[in-house]
Amino acid sequence: MALTRKTKRTILAGVGLVMGGLLIALLAWIVYLDRIITAQFEGRRWTLPAQVFAEPLELYAGQSFGADTLEQELKRLGYRRADKAEAPGSYSRRGAHVDLVNRRFQFWDALQEPQLISIDTRGNSIESMRNGRNEDVPIFRLDPLLIGSIFPIHGEDRVVVTPAEVSPLLPAALKVVEDRKFDSHSGVDFGAIARAAWVNLRAGQIEQGGSTLTQQLVKSYFLDNRRTLGRKLEEAMMAWLLEVHFDKQDLMNAYINEIYLGQDGNRAVHGFGLASQFYFGKPLAELQLHEVALLVAIVRGPSYYDPRRHEERVRARRDLVLKLMAQYKVVDERAAKEAAKRPLGVVNTGTLAGSYYPAFLDLVRRTLRRDYREEDLTEAGLKIFSTLNPLIQSQAEKALTQELERLDKARKRKTAQLLEGVVVVTAPQNGEVIAMVGGRQASFDGFNRALDAKRSIGSLVKPVIYLAAVETGRYHAASIVEDGPVEVKLANGKVWAPQNISEEYYGQVPLVRALAQSLNLATVHLGLEVGLPKVTNEFVALGLERQPPQLPSVLLGALDVSPLEVAQLYNAFANGGFSTPLRAVRAVVDAEGKPLKSFALEVTPVADPQAVYQVNRMLVQVMEHGSGQAARAQIPPEIVVAGKTGTSSDYRDSWFAGFSGNTLAVVWIGYDDNSPTGLTGSSGSLPVWSRLMRSIGTTSWSAPLPEGLEEKSIEFMTGLAANPGCGGENLVTIAVPSGTQLPAKSGCETSVFGELGERAREWWRSVVR
Amino acid sequence: MKRSQQRLALLAASALLAACAAPSPYEKPAPPEQQTETPPAETRPGEPPSTVEEPQPLPAPVVREPTLGAASRALVGQAQTQVATKNYAVAASSIERALRIEPDNPLLWIELGKVRLVEGNYVQAENMGRKAVSMSVNAPRAQSSAWKLIADSYRARGKNIEAQEAQARSDSLNRG
Repeated sequence: MALTRKTKRTILAGVGLVMGGLLIALLAWIVYLDRIITAQFEGRRWTLPAQVFAEPLELYAGQSFGADTLEQELKRLGYRRADKAEAPGSYSRRGAHVDLVNRRFQFWDALQEPQLISIDTRGNSIESMRNGRNEDVPIFRLDPLLIGSIFPIHGEDRVVVTPAEVSPLLPAALKVVEDRKFDSHSGVDFGAIARAAWVNLRAGQIEQGGSTLTQQLVKSYFLDNRRTLGRKLEEAMMAWLLEVHFDKQDLMNAYINEIYLGQDGNRAVHGFGLASQFYFGKPLAELQLHEVALLVAIVRGPSYYDPRRHEERVRARRDLVLKLMAQYKVVDERAAKEAAKRPLGVVNTGTLAGSYYPAFLDLVRRTLRRDYREEDLTEAGLKIFSTLNPLIQSQAEKALTQELERLDKARKRKTAQLLEGVVVVTAPQNGEVIAMVGGRQASFDGFNRALDAKRSIGSLVKPVIYLAAVETGRYHAASIVEDGPVEVKLANGKVWAPQNISEEYYGQVPLVRALAQSLNLATVHLGLEVGLPKVTNEFVALGLERQPPQLPSVLLGALDVSPLEVAQLYNAFANGGFSTPLRAVRAVVDAEGKPLKSFALEVTPVADPQAVYQVNRMLVQVMEHGSGQAARAQIPPEIVVAGKTGTSSDYRDSWFAGFSGNTLAVVWIGYDDNSPTGLTGSSGSLPVWSRLMRSIGTTSWSAPLPEGLEEKSIEFMTGLAANPGCGGENLVTIAVPSGTQLPAKSGCETSVFGELGERAREWWRSVVR
Repeated sequence: MKRSQQRLALLAASALLAACAAPSPYEKPAPPEQQTETPPAETRPGEPPSTVEEPQPLPAPVVREPTLGAASRALVGQAQTQVATKNYAVAASSIERALRIEPDNPLLWIELGKVRLVEGNYVQAENMGRKAVSMSVNAPRAQSSAWKLIADSYRARGKNIEAQEAQARSDSLNRG
């Protein structure tokens, strides 16, 4: 049946309508995709996660760096050894002499231009430093290690680079390996797709991709690996749209900053800028041919070609990249061959560069969140100068994991649960947090125990009580307290009757012994005599934010405090009675290097320096004669340290807090579910602390004896004045207010003449004046 | 009798010295050439009995004035230039760099306090002064500067009585 003209026209109109509708739909789809992709592209160009830097290394005459240590430090910063130091980021060494040229770096307070620094070392220290004009350089600051950035929640981290910071080798290599028609195609390379399809068909598996760099960029934006036809079409269309809107240079730059290049725990390493830091520990601009080739090799599959796990496989691919670069005349044949002889040169994650410090970065983030919006931190390209000392951080991580492994192995009762631990390290005089480990897997980005685990601190409270006692003026280190039964009727009618850990009574003991041996009953007696209000106020004065409840159980540490808060509390002791707010950030500058904020050093006197000194001398005796004694086997005998153990009830928490001349460290060990560990402060946390203190070569606690105090020698057990000459046993030196009369051990009564002697001294002075 | 009183005193003094002879692990023994104030010979009392050791005059506290290391000196110099151009935050940051190298040097705390003072942060200026005082044991010159800083910070806040007291302490240390 022949169709009527009318029907034909209707059909035609219908087809036309459908076609028109389809066309409109297509256009709408294109407009829609265009919106998405341009927004994504424009947006990405401007979001720069804040970069966080470690504390910079200061070089000066007298600094305890031998040539070997100095070279190690330079390598850690990714400096390259050369025959002659000329390029920024390079150094040369002849025996004890090191030349270096630093990198240009914008500090918060000054711009450091690259210059030649010639350093003479002798033995273990820097003897002199001169610059290129042969002038003496008293102090020089090296560019700091980039330790991470504050990236958005979905875990993408990157260090954005500008085209000027990229070696021309990189785009050239990317083109020859990934997309030879990049300069001419308009988003999609059909030839490459056909070629790839043919290769894959013959191989029966996906061996080659035909995606252009632009398509890869689109794919990366949307983190979608589905290989459906619709997806492919969408991708191709978006790639074309990008090519319409932006020039090749912009696209290449976006690719270099966008592409996924590795995984580090929760953190996804994006872009070549961060990848260069992550794999080589140095800026992208300083990479050599073999290193550029390695990064380009990784692009194809960061997990399959993980250079830290599949060295052989990655090496083969790197050499293929080098061959292609030579074949397409990006480099000459000889250079490629030379580069292929080089090792991969990837730094271990353990060597600091490329390491990741989630606990510390979390503290930085929280510090800044008070002043900045989340978006400012993740997008505005801020540069944050932190207080982290990477060397001490790595020692703290090592000390904790090694001791925890040892303790877990020694467990009698095998549990599925592993012990957890925290280490917080500060510089007591300026309150800078120089290291922080939030768990046995330091790189695990999760619950930050250092800040959020509020646990019972046990005997760590004792120094605060003793300080409150000494401050009253009624007690000193040789004052006698009774270590005997205690019964306190509580408000709820119950009777509180604590015990010593040994469940024994020690009778009349001097304060210094009660503290050193951590005697509970003596401490409760003392605390009750001093009064709970005075004691709980002392906690607040020393820096605890919340006032503890005025309950007698507080005297034995029934007080939930985080390791960082403990560090704040003990920092006041280590700092001689001055409190300084702990800080992890020194300064923040904006993307242009303009200073936005600095966290200046502040000190506040919070306790009588004389009283603090007396307690600190008792804390030294904790290490010499008390519960901290085991540390002495680890730490060199000439290094004076002070500290206190803490064990909570049922051995749920093992604590140690202590300090030397330049370092304070707090260690906590326990289970996350708060079940008993069977560990005391001495058996759990103390070994971590001692190991750390030994490994960082700490200095002696050497605060000067304040005026108005004098040293006395007493028997540790009895508190009686004595000296070796009169048969005194187990003697300790304490500090007491000048003129304090101490009862003497029989046979040591020379001090009966004490008062007379003192008068003689006054008389003598009056004569000679 | 006066003479026997003297002898008794000497005896007691020497016994006291013996009692104090136990070595203290916390302070390096001072180099002997730094000991000062040896009493003139003519005031020495009469001969003690031969059974008792010759008593040494009780040592006056050893004066140990702090000095700045070369690196700190350079940084403090830099800070002073920065203060002159009213760049207080940067000046403070220079001194903080020096403090990381020599945290126990009271002179640096005094310098930092001076920056706080010109900045108008009088409370911190005073606190830095107090920190410096606590560190300058047996260093009258450093302690005098620290009290001077405290006095200045009081004066700036109009606390004249406290300022006078602090100034008096500074002056007396300077004279001594």
